[in-house]
This record gives sequence, structure tokens and C-alpha cells, in this order.
Amino acid sequence: MGEVRRHKRHSEGALHIGASTPRADAYAKVTGAEKFAADYYSSDMVWAGVKRGAAPHGVIKGIFTDEACKAPGVIAVLTHRDIRGSNRQGVVRKDQPVLADKKVRHCGDAVALVLAEDRETLLRALDLIRLDLEALPGVFDVEEALKDGAPLVHEDNAGGNTLLEAHIQTGDGLTAFERCDEVIEGRFETPWQEHAYLETEVGWAQQQNDGKVVIVASTQTPFRDRAEVAEAIGLDLEQVRVIAPYTGGAFGGKDGITVQTLLALAALHSNGRPVKMWWEREESFIAGTKRHPTRLYYRLGAKGDGVLHALAARLYFDTGPYDHLGGVVMTLALEHAGGAYRIPHALLDAWCVYTNNPIGGAFRAFGVTQVTAAMEQMMDMLAARLDMDPLELRLKNALTRGEKTCVGVTLTGSTGLVECLERVERHPLRTERYAWKAAAGPFKRRGVGIAALMHAAGYGTVVPDYANAKIELTPEGKIRIYCGVVDMGQGNASANAQIAGSILNQNMDSMELVLPDTDRTLPSGSASASRCTYTFGNALIGAAEILKNRILQKAADLLMAPSTDDLTLAPGKVVNRATGAQIPLSRLGRLMAESERTAISHFRAPVAKDRLDVTDELRLHGLGHAVISYGAHLAAVEVDEITGAVEVVSYLSATDCGRALNPQIYEQQIHGGICQGLGFALFEDFRVEQGTVKSPDLATYIIPTAPDTPNMESLPVELHEPTGPFGLKGVGEIATNGPAPAVANALADACGIRMFRLPMTPERVLLALRGRETR
Amino acid sequence: MTQVLLPRALDELWDFLEEDPNTAVYSGGTDLLVNLRGGRINPSRLACLERIEEIRGVRDAGAAVFIGAATTHTHLLENSLVSSEFPVLTKAIRVLASPAIRNMGTIGGNIVNASPAGDTLPPLYALDAEVEIVSRKEAKRMPVSDFIVGPGRVRLGANEIVKGVWIRKAPEFNVRHFEKVGLRKSQACAVASLAAALSLSEGGKIERARLAWGSVGPTVVRSAEVEEALLGRELEIQMLAEVARLVERAVSPIDDVRASAQYRRIVAGRLLLRLAESGCKN
Amino acid sequence: MKQAIALEVNGDTYEVLVSPNQTLLEVLREKLGLTGTKKGCDLGACGACTVLLDGAAYLSCLMLAVDAVGKKIVTIEGLSQGGELHPLQKSFVELGGLQCGFCTPGIIMTAKAVLDEEPQPTEESLKKKMAGNLCRCTGYKKVLDSIMGATARMGGER
Repeated sequence: MGEVRRHKRHSEGALHIGASTPRADAYAKVTGAEKFAADYYSSDMVWAGVKRGAAPHGVIKGIFTDEACKAPGVIAVLTHRDIRGSNRQGVVRKDQPVLADKKVRHCGDAVALVLAEDRETLLRALDLIRLDLEALPGVFDVEEALKDGAPLVHEDNAGGNTLLEAHIQTGDGLTAFERCDEVIEGRFETPWQEHAYLETEVGWAQQQNDGKVVIVASTQTPFRDRAEVAEAIGLDLEQVRVIAPYTGGAFGGKDGITVQTLLALAALHSNGRPVKMWWEREESFIAGTKRHPTRLYYRLGAKGDGVLHALAARLYFDTGPYDHLGGVVMTLALEHAGGAYRIPHALLDAWCVYTNNPIGGAFRAFGVTQVTAAMEQMMDMLAARLDMDPLELRLKNALTRGEKTCVGVTLTGSTGLVECLERVERHPLRTERYAWKAAAGPFKRRGVGIAALMHAAGYGTVVPDYANAKIELTPEGKIRIYCGVVDMGQGNASANAQIAGSILNQNMDSMELVLPDTDRTLPSGSASASRCTYTFGNALIGAAEILKNRILQKAADLLMAPSTDDLTLAPGKVVNRATGAQIPLSRLGRLMAESERTAISHFRAPVAKDRLDVTDELRLHGLGHAVISYGAHLAAVEVDEITGAVEVVSYLSATDCGRALNPQIYEQQIHGGICQGLGFALFEDFRVEQGTVKSPDLATYIIPTAPDTPNMESLPVELHEPTGPFGLKGVGEIATNGPAPAVANALADACGIRMFRLPMTPERVLLALRGRETR
Repeated sequence: MTQVLLPRALDELWDFLEEDPNTAVYSGGTDLLVNLRGGRINPSRLACLERIEEIRGVRDAGAAVFIGAATTHTHLLENSLVSSEFPVLTKAIRVLASPAIRNMGTIGGNIVNASPAGDTLPPLYALDAEVEIVSRKEAKRMPVSDFIVGPGRVRLGANEIVKGVWIRKAPEFNVRHFEKVGLRKSQACAVASLAAALSLSEGGKIERARLAWGSVGPTVVRSAEVEEALLGRELEIQMLAEVARLVERAVSPIDDVRASAQYRRIVAGRLLLRLAESGCKN
Repeated sequence: MKQAIALEVNGDTYEVLVSPNQTLLEVLREKLGLTGTKKGCDLGACGACTVLLDGAAYLSCLMLAVDAVGKKIVTIEGLSQGGELHPLQKSFVELGGLQCGFCTPGIIMTAKAVLDEEPQPTEESLKKKMAGNLCRCTGYKKVLDSIMGATARMGGER
């Protein structure tokens, strides 16, 4: 628990920025040695599991646990009555019970917690628990939920089923449509998207003799978890320690509590034995969060020459029964609703709505995926109406540095949309598209579509987006980085080694990583919002520079050099360039006091300085970002007229990513984002009927396999971001936003059908081709 | 479940089955384990058939080929007799589940499982395959279309197992086509599939036709009406589009989480159109 | 009722007591401590639990442990020899064929079986043969690049 990650590499030489250095975590992961949260076992371990309500809405009349309690091998059966704390969790609004007390509000609500000697006993005991639920009418549609008389998900919520609503008007708002030559309308529906990480929600916990509960969990947010766990089950903050190993995928689905509170509660009742909880795939699908489904009404007006003039949009987000991060997701979507375009007049309305559906939550790109799917199709529809080239239309309206988005945020950082579009414009996939399309075989039609993207990073104006980096020269002469932000697979831990290694001129073998641990590393926010390397990297640069100065000063003293001017760090040592004298880092490490060889630095990310005419609540939920990545995507698709299947044959992306610290990791992020975006566009149809999940496993919820994924090209457009570490901007999310609109536009280009509902399954495409009503 | 038995010969198996009538047999287990985990079945004992040499492998019996029930899909894929005599079966197995499942799953398992979406079934129907059923006392054969009576339901008595399938060689078929429509390119459950074996004359006229559709009814669908309608015609789009209408009437699909009945019905018919591409080759 | 069985894993023989309905996956992870083999779905739909049985890729979640008796089992832990990474592993490290790494052991084991059978696959053939292994991070691009990279490294020997 809480080990230090050390690294084995093949090549020598100091780390430097801009090199595709193999990832620090790669060796342990390819050998199976890396210990994920799922891999914690011990011989005295107890299995914990959850009884779920399995009904979308109902009053809890009784929870009968006697039979389960008496079953041999059962250690404890707990309900809300066993919780001493608030029994509430949530990131913004704490509206989700750890164990349901009065009502169940969706099928995944946890009602009882069982501890058993082994998994078989656990499953048997869960079956023995009986629930008496009085069914309540449920509400499953966002617009129905807002009507008078709709069943209330939370009776005590002042806004009825409205969790958060927002209205932004800029310029003349709706009246500007009167001055438009062309007005396009569209109504779009996007589905839930399940994260489908390979490692489902899992953790391990134990109460120590001193009463402290140690939790090892697959999480993106150990510091926030600690506070939530403590409050929910009535412990002091110091009595909870959360350790976050590398996750087996997260993508936003582990941005917040999954197993953590339940595990801590179980650990209080296991007589000091360690407790393991690992959600089954079906459980993960039913109880875990998903990308919010949305219904989006768009109206876009332009002048006859293609200059955008007015935008009206109504955005409905289905958050399920709990806030989780629903309000924040909606707000980021609102900020991106008009894309990276100059639109002087806008009226944007948005609602985040409680329903009895599965819980909506964070998912890579956080609401922007949904609005981009709509807005970028609107742009193509407008281009078609104006008989303009879709790329020309975008170039004509693309924002540049210093201009304002349609919600009034001024783009102060590097702004590379135009450069991205130009890269795509010059690429053979675009310049040779007519010939490629004409070469389609029998029963095939081909099309090429594009999308323009922007994605803001960080938490926005009010909630501080900060990091505290700590770095240490160990007595063994190694450089140890205390990572405050979880590495869920995106490679930020490795990037940390590269940043510090380049400043201290050390190679990977000298770097050690301490992964996030509330007892050992410093609070640095969540692994989310394309912020990880940007925010923590900036803090780490500060800490590494401090340490570098301390090391050189100490070396100067020991080498009796007059100053540090002639001293330089080299792998494993400090060298006096003037005299040739050397001193190993291991000697310096032994001779420096701990406080001397440890450095800490804090960084807080900049935010938009515009004085937006919006509510404080909306600001609190994040409106107004300063650091923004841009991109342009192109999809070349082939449609099968017999089956309706859409194959993406080639995919191109150009991304304004700031400086790519590690091109390999940059490409990984772009490829992964595109693939998830293609899943969202074409395959992933999370099916829910009356609150019940109909696609509860990986056999019915279809994510892309290798043959479904096209060759992807990911061009970096490296505009220097002045506030970024070495000029970097985060690119963890942006690529996810491109595929849905790019593929939809390509499909329209191929066969003239416009898909207003995702995913674009063979069935929907074929029925659209036949001009029939889709289901 | 109390025991897993690993018989090495049929006689050993019969002893096990007679000892405890609640002994379930399996061959591959890729569906069985899913059902065990889901609690849908709870046999007292399991007998694994894969080590019984008599029911494994492919044998050339002159006019026909025998495929043992415990032969894995991978084995069939690599078998040159199967790929030369029954390319439609090979084509189907090539898109069956995933490579690892093909290493584990067997043709006997696919038949007895009797899923309407079982990928080997449309080819077996189109090839008029016969299932050989054995018990300690007797062996009998019946057409696969008689053996399978509904989703997951087969004519298999107590203490009987499927020993294998017999497929008559049919070199007269010079067009052998299989297409599966799934929700992605691989590792996909069939939403609809078509296996076709056609004899085309030198002049391109259809002389014989056997077609079978998967996933568009409780069992694999064959239609005498459709097959007759093709006879004497040439493989061209207009004709196939007309016959597709008959197909839409012949199938009886349902709505499920993967697709609507409407889509399955339409696509079952439209799959015929692909045969137009075969008109000039093969 | 538990059965005593002997499993040959990575060249070592392990005597274990197992329940008849225990999968090979459970036994590898929980009884033998070989947690490199991952559980992703327990349904045969993701490939994270792939191991080699007599050289062929099998899904250990769909296999009863008892049924694996008498077969040579190789897991990710058995792939590197004496601390020396297998060429596939080296290639995945250098070409970035992994991100979160949870699907990686299964992917590498499948790739091993593929290359043992077809040392120089085409990109298209490789894609099809890797179709049973889901990865949610990489979009498969660098996974496939890493496997192709390994074919060059491996030359004739495996």
C-alpha cells in the first residue's frame, strides 16, 4: 500500500521536453506487475457487496435483513440506520444517500450493505435481503419532468425537478434573428454513454488499530473522496486516508464516489479485517454514472454571405436522480454551445433535470461532446443551405485570439482554430475527397465530413483550480515526485517525471513517483477537466526549480565553489564545469536535511476575467474559462446501402494542444478520445426503458473493437500557450467531441441524410435511407 | 454444482450420466459459464465432452463429411476439407464471436445452444446438415432443422448427446455466400444473417438455391417460396429486390435490445442484393 | 465440495483446492496471486482475462479451473524470461501500446498467440485477430503499431 513506483528503462540519457519518452508506468503494466485497486487481496479479507433497490422510484417501507444476517459466513448486514454521518454524498449538491433511507430514486440505488467471508456467501446473502418498496410513479423524460404535476424526484428541492437552470443573453438575443438571411433549426438527441472502463468500480479498505480507515480505490479524486467519506459516515477528516493507484480506466466515471463510502462503512464493521468491494460489470452499468443524455434545440441565423449572426439554443440535460456533477456539466456545455465562432447575438437556455433514470455524471469532455454534436451539424446544415463549403464557412466565422465567444468569454490564450482548419484543408483526405468518393464500390456510398472544436480546461471562475507539487531528493539520490493528481491512464504521472527530469537533468531511472495518497501527497484537485498536466505540471515546475537551486547551493558549499554559476546537474550528480569536480546526488541526498531536500510549490490556474452578466450560481458552476484547446476533425466514411452500416475508413485530427511535452502521450490522448467519440457516434446505445437498463453488459452495450476503428492521424498544432507548463495545453478531452458531428456530416455528404439522434446505428441509417420513421 | 467430470470416452460419459440424471454436459462452455454465473442453470454435476476423442475432429466419409460435436470453431476454420467443401460454413465461422471464443467454443455447442443468432446454424441449414444423436444404446440422425425446435430448445432426450453433424458434399453449388449483420464489425451477435448456396449455370441462371436466415425468427428460416422464386433467374439487382419482398414475408423477427423487428425484416430481404456481386464471380 | 487439482502455470505446478464452479480466472487471481490476468466482464466479451492454454488464447473467465487440468497455462507473468521482457512487451513499452494498462495483459497474451501462428500478419489480419480484446483507452492504433513493431523485433524466433 502506498508504494513508490520505480522505473526500468532501456535507453539512458536525461529526460527532456518534447521527446516521446516511454511511459514510466509501461514496464509494470506490460508485465502484469502493476497493482491496481482491483488487485488487492489478503487471506483475512472480507467481501462487501450492495443490495440495490432495482426499482426506479419507490418509498422504502421495510428492509428485511434477518435471514441474510443469520446466513453462515455473513459478517454484517448494514442499512442507513447504521450510518452515523450525514448519509449523503455528492460533489456539488449532496443529494445522494450512501444507503437509501426514505426512497429509492433509480434502479441502482444502494439499500443495504453486506459483508461476507467469500463472494459466494455474499451473493447468497444479497438474495436473502427483502425490500418492501411502495412503487411511485417515475419520471423518465427531461421535458416531462419540468411540467407541473410531474412526479418529484426530490420533494424537498425548491426547483421541483430542476437541479439547475441557466439563461444567457448576449447582444440582442432573439431579435437578431430578424436580421438574418438564413435561419436553420434542428432538434438533436444524444444518448447516455457508459464509460465502460475495463476495470469496474473497485476498492479495498481497512480500519487500523488507531481507528483510521485506509481506503485504496480506483478513483480520480482521492482528496475530495476523503472529505465526502468522512462527512457521510461521521468520521473526522484525519480518520480517513485515501490512496489512489493507477486506475484501470476512469474517463470521468470515477470522478466522485463509487465504492469509497460503502467500503469505509464496511471497514467500520469488519473487526479490523480488510474489506474488498468490486462491482460486477452489470452493477457498474446500472449504478455507475454515464454521460448525460440530452435533448438540444438549436436555431442558427446567418447573413447571406455566411457570417453568423444569431444563435438560440435550449439545452436539456438528464442528470438522473442526483446532481453528481450534472450542474457543472450543463454549465460547461452552455459555455461551448455556440462553438468557437463569432456570433454576436445569442439566447441560450439550459436545464439540468432530475429524473428516475440512471445517474448522469462526468464523462470525458463533460457536456461539450453533446453540444458540439449539435452545433457542428448546424454548421453543415447552414453551409448546405448557403451552398458554401463547410470548411470555408467555419474559417469565415472562426474565433481568433482576443475575440469573444457567444457567451461573452474573451479568448486570451493561444487560439489555434484557424490553424487547425487549415491543416485539415491542406490534407490529402480533403483535397482528394472527390476522387475517393467516386471510387465507392457497389452498394456503397462515401462521404467526407468535418467538425471544428474547442474545449476549455479547468474548473472555471470560482472554484480554485490549483495544485501543490512536492518533490524530494531522496537519501539514495533519486528524485521523488509526490503526485497530487491521479493518473487514470492518461500518462500524467509519466509527464511529471519528464517535467521534473528535464529541469533537474535526470534520466527516468532516477525518477520515483508517489501516486496520490491523502497522507503522503498534497491536495491538487481532481484528475479531470483536461487540467492534470497543465495545473500540476505548472506547480511541479516551481517545485523542481526550487529543488534544483537547493541542490546546486548545497553542492557549491560542499565543493567549495564560490557560487553555483559553474555548477550543473547531470544524471546522478552535480558537476563543476570549471574544475571538473563532481558530487553524486546520493551524497547530497544524505547530507541534506529533509526540509532542505524537499520542495513544495503551488499553482492556481488563470480564469476568464470577463464580467459576464450571469448568476453567481452559474459562475460557481464554472462559467468562464481561460485556457482552451482547439481542433479540426475530418471523417471519411463509407455507408453500406444494404445494411445501413457506417464504416469510418479514415480519420484525421489537427489539435491545437500547445506544446506537446511527449508526442507519444499526446497521440494516445487524441486516439483514445477519437475512438470513444466514434463509439458515441456509431455504436454506443445505452438503452433504458422506464428507468430500467436494457443493455447491462458488454455483450449488449457495443463499444468499438479494433476492426471498427479506422486509421487515425493526429496532427499536433503546437501554438505556445503562455500560461502552460512549457507552453502546454490539456488535450485529454477535446478529441472526444469531434467524431459525432464529423461522422454525421460525412454521412450527410455520402447520402443526404441527417441524423438528429445518436448513435447512428445501421438500423437508424437504413430506415433514414428508406425515408421511414426511425424508432 | 458439486463436481466437474472429464470423461475420455463415451462409455465413461454414459456411466456418469446414468449415475446422476442432473448431470449437464458441455462442449466449449462459452455459453454455459455465462448461464452458470447468471444463475440461469444449476446442474448438480457437469461433464465436459472435449476430451472424448470419438466426437472430435473432421472425417471425410466419401459423399459426406462428419464433424464431431466437440470440434472447435478454430479447428474447423483451419480444416481444408471444410473450407473446400463448405466455404459457406467457413465464412460464417470466420465472423463468429472472437478468436478466443472460437478456440473454446465447438460446433456441437453452437447447435445444441440453438440460439437463433448461432452463427454456424444458417450454413448448416443451407447445407441440409444432419445431426447425429447418440446414447449408450443407439445412434440416430435427423435434419438440423428438425433437431432445433425453438430458441434454446432441441430434440435431445435424457442421456443422449449430439455426436456430430453430417454434411453431404454438394459441389454443384458454385456460389457460397455468408453475411452477418451485427452492430459492429467483429464480436457481434447477429441481428440478421444470410447463408446461401446457389448453383449457377454457365449462362448465369440459378439452377438450385438454398438460403437460410439467422436471427429473424425463433429458429433459422428457410423458405421454399423464396428458393423457388430464384430458380431460372439471373442474379441481378431488380430480380433480387423483388424476391427480397418475399423474404420480408417469410421471416418472423422480434424486437430486442439489438434491433427492431422492422429492421431485421428489411435487412433480411436486402441481404439478397449482395448476391448480385456474386453473379459475375465465384 | 472442493476438488484438489494441479495446475501447470508458467512452468510451475500448483496444487490447489477449488470449487468445481470456480473459473480459471478466479483461481489464478485469488488462489495463485497471479493478478496480472484481469477481470473486465466475466462474460467472455472483453478479453482482459486472456491466457494461453497449450499455446492458444483462451478466456479464463469462461473456463472452469478444473477443466484446465493437464494443460500448459501461460499468463502475463510468465511471458518475460529472467527479467528480460518478451519482444512484444518491449514493443508495447517503446511504442506506447498501453494507457491505463488494464486490458494490456490480455492484449499481449492474444498478440503472442497471434504471432506464434502468423509471425508476419498484415494490418488487416491482425485487426481481426485482435477483435476479441476491448480497449477503452488507446483506440487500438498504438496497440496494433506495437504488435507490428514486435514482429520486426522477433524476426524468426519466438
